[in-house]
Amino acid sequence: MRSFYAALRRLFHAVLLGLVGAGIVHIIVLLLVPEFSERDAWSRLSMASDLYRMNRLDAEAGGAPVVKSVDPLFYATACRFDLGEGMVRVKAPGNVPFWSVSVYDRNGHNVYSFNDHTATGGVLDAVVLTPAQMIDVRKDLPEDLQGAVFVEAPIDEGIFVIRSFVPDDSWKPIVSRFLDQSSCELQDF
Amino acid sequence: MLKNAFLMLLSLAIAIGGGGASVWYALKIQDGVGAIRIGQWTAFPDIGTPAADPYSKARVAREGVLALGRAEGLSFVAENDAAGDELKRECTYRLEGGFPTARFWTLYAADQSLGVVDTGKTRLAALQSYEVLRQPDNSVIISVGHHPMPGNWLLTDGSGRMYFVLTFYDTPIASSTGLSDVSLPRIVKAGCDA
Repeated sequence: MRSFYAALRRLFHAVLLGLVGAGIVHIIVLLLVPEFSERDAWSRLSMASDLYRMNRLDAEAGGAPVVKSVDPLFYATACRFDLGEGMVRVKAPGNVPFWSVSVYDRNGHNVYSFNDHTATGGVLDAVVLTPAQMIDVRKDLPEDLQGAVFVEAPIDEGIFVIRSFVPDDSWKPIVSRFLDQSSCELQDF
Repeated sequence: MLKNAFLMLLSLAIAIGGGGASVWYALKIQDGVGAIRIGQWTAFPDIGTPAADPYSKARVAREGVLALGRAEGLSFVAENDAAGDELKRECTYRLEGGFPTARFWTLYAADQSLGVVDTGKTRLAALQSYEVLRQPDNSVIISVGHHPMPGNWLLTDGSGRMYFVLTFYDTPIASSTGLSDVSLPRIVKAGCDA
């Protein structure tokens, strides 16, 4: 009988140890998910296109959407960039009812966002750069960057997303053209 | 000796199995840490920002979401009606009430993955604020269902669970101070197809 209780106690001890271990594993796995995820926005985009290439996120352009869960009344496009290679400039011509822009870091966290009310004359012209590059640019601001919105982001790799509102079907070609003509390129300085 | 090995294996199995399963479950459920509830509507203002909690961060990484920024807008999701029942695609609902200040808003019926419900028709299961009819007091009444209805009609189709996603764009409520006295429309069930 006594040995039975002893065995039971050891079993209980083992289960308790297992539960404590489960708590530790829970925390470790939770913190490791962002590091090792191959399904995050960056990985999905890198499978679809190269750095500095605009890539439509909505299904309208054909095929399944690369990054899910965009508003059905919105079109969106994204490009990946690496500030380690230099600052990146994003432009889109034309007038649409509403556009907004977000800069995400490598893990898909929103670092900075603004919309057409913030930009000069509602024209999308933005430069993303690191604080160190900003210091260089401030010393001697090039003529053609005067109207641009400067986004200072302390990141290396990142994602730039443009979203634009499609109020009804008649706006579809206009908004599509706005996004398809947008450019995302390394800016020489 | 064999007994010791067995107990050790048991501990390890509970630790790894239980730890992994609990993370998977925590990321699967819709509700989570950092949620703000207004009536039936839930929003995660912090999701996708560097200030988010570890659960939101893991969910963002796993699902590949690119969340709306503060200057863009704020999304609310509803999964229950005013009586506390789950929203069903085969039922008819009425959304009524005022909407907070925003440049415009969009409303769409969504499935489990929060993608828009496929209606099989050219009409989307979505509405936006520029096209809705308003009451004299500026509130809005929206009817949701399979069959055409007078006034504002949000088309749905199919059967099973449904979610409403209401997104406000360029809105002061996206800054956390504006969220305290916001009222959102009520969701009332009007009936169900048998």
